Amino acid sequence: MSHRVSHQEIVKKALDSKAVDFGAIGKVIAELGPSVALADEPWEGFCGTMRGFIRVYIVHPPVGGGPVENLAALRAATGEIQS
Amino acid sequence: MKMRRPIQVPVASWSTADLVRRLSRVLDVATQAIERLATNGYADSQDRSNTLRCEKLISETAFLLLRASKVQEHPEVRQRVIGLAARLLPHARSERMLLGVCVEPAVALDYAQAHIYLTRLGYPDAAFDEVLRQSLTSQVRSGRERPPHRVLEQEWLTRTWDGVRSSSRRSSSLAARHSMLGRPMDLLSGSRGDVYAFTHAVLYVTDINLMPQRLPRPASDILAEAEAALGRCLDDEDYDLGGEVLLAWPLLGKAWSAAAAFGFRVVADVEDRAGFLPSPSTRLQRLHELSGDERAEYLLATAYHTIYVMGLLCAAALQPGNAPPVRLPGARFPAGSSGPILQFLDADRRSGHWREEVERLTASERDAIAGLLFSVALRRKASERDFVGLRELLATGYRLGLAECPAASQAAELLDRVAAAAPMLLEARRQSQASLNSGRVGSEGRESPSADNGPAPLAGPSEDRTEHQPAAEGPVLAN
Repeated sequence: MSHRVSHQEIVKKALDSKAVDFGAIGKVIAELGPSVALADEPWEGFCGTMRGFIRVYIVHPPVGGGPVENLAALRAATGEIQS
Repeated sequence: MKMRRPIQVPVASWSTADLVRRLSRVLDVATQAIERLATNGYADSQDRSNTLRCEKLISETAFLLLRASKVQEHPEVRQRVIGLAARLLPHARSERMLLGVCVEPAVALDYAQAHIYLTRLGYPDAAFDEVLRQSLTSQVRSGRERPPHRVLEQEWLTRTWDGVRSSSRRSSSLAARHSMLGRPMDLLSGSRGDVYAFTHAVLYVTDINLMPQRLPRPASDILAEAEAALGRCLDDEDYDLGGEVLLAWPLLGKAWSAAAAFGFRVVADVEDRAGFLPSPSTRLQRLHELSGDERAEYLLATAYHTIYVMGLLCAAALQPGNAPPVRLPGARFPAGSSGPILQFLDADRRSGHWREEVERLTASERDAIAGLLFSVALRRKASERDFVGLRELLATGYRLGLAECPAASQAAELLDRVAAAAPMLLEARRQSQASLNSGRVGSEGRESPSADNGPAPLAGPSEDRTEHQPAAEGPVLAN
């Protein structure tokens, strides 16, 4: 009856696709970071300045509005609070 | 289609033993939560939204205790209330709480909540009272701005602490008239925070059904909106808020409607299957990653609030005459009216626990909740910005005799506004599309800034149908 998806599976597929190359991002930061952070140009830079080049988000599910976990799995995993 | 009269037959009530069992289990969890989290709260380094201040836990546990204390004629409950109160007392009047009352008069009542509830339960403390009294007579006692439902909370705490007892019902306060109880709630595009404000206004105005104030609007109007809000919560599987909405019926002292009784069945079934009423905050992966005390604290911090809501609901249902019916009350909607609405809902290919519960209903029980199903479908269409679908659904509901509800009248108003705005919206879209096209032509010969920086094209078919965009999330209040 339920049409449920595993968010972990979606995230894993996204990571496995290599659509985001974390290694390459890190390499760019390592190369440019020190010089850009010290640069004189206003409004640019990496650390605490006016413009960010790369943003990393933690996407939270909407509070109260996201799906609850599988009920049977929750029961199996939460013996501490079961009577 | 001819309307059916409600069938006047005695309906068996929910088992008292089952409600006591559920409440007792919640009180056991509360005891664990106090033991593990009342001193330091909970800090989650991975997900800050799980962070829990101990003051919040202590206050909410005391609130649950106050509610449970009203059904102490059940020995299982009484024994747990006494034990939990003893564990809670040192935390309710801890140095941290006393300092809060002393140093921050504008939030003194918030720090003193557990103290006030325990005083009402028969555990007074004159010295703590004196510090609170001084704070509440200081210049800055009102030095914080609050929304109406929070003003109602302050008024309620003051009444509870003062011990003011009057046999007459008071007139509704200005805050009550300005709260979600005093004006229609936006049932189609309102935020979760609006429903939260509604549920809390009910709690404070009714004095958890101990010394109710006069309502700013007829209870029937308030409960009609509560039904639509309940539908939203069930559809979102938001049992934290849904359980609080369900409190409206027993707290207002009104008989459970078919929709409310259905809602109770859904949350009870979910609780039975998971072993507790869950919220999305409790994630299985984290549970599997953690062990020992860390795991227990994570579980309690993320789960306790929704568990408490179920306890409050059961305690309210245990009051004489408040138990929900086992079977849904007779249909007030025409026979067969639920079928077409379910077809609309099923076409969305969305499902949830409530849909599974519908499958267990008899045909007449399904028709009894046709209005609830209709409001769920209306909200879905409105939030998808599917105005063509909304119009079609509204027409179907009208034909079935379901349109006498606040969600339907709000949907009709929405369609009127969309019709008024449509010429301007279509013109704006046309201009945007023309601008984009000219940019594309220009880019063939030379680089055009509008191709990169111009307004984003409005996607979608060329027919007069507004783009389907999910509604922007409004502000979300943590419970």
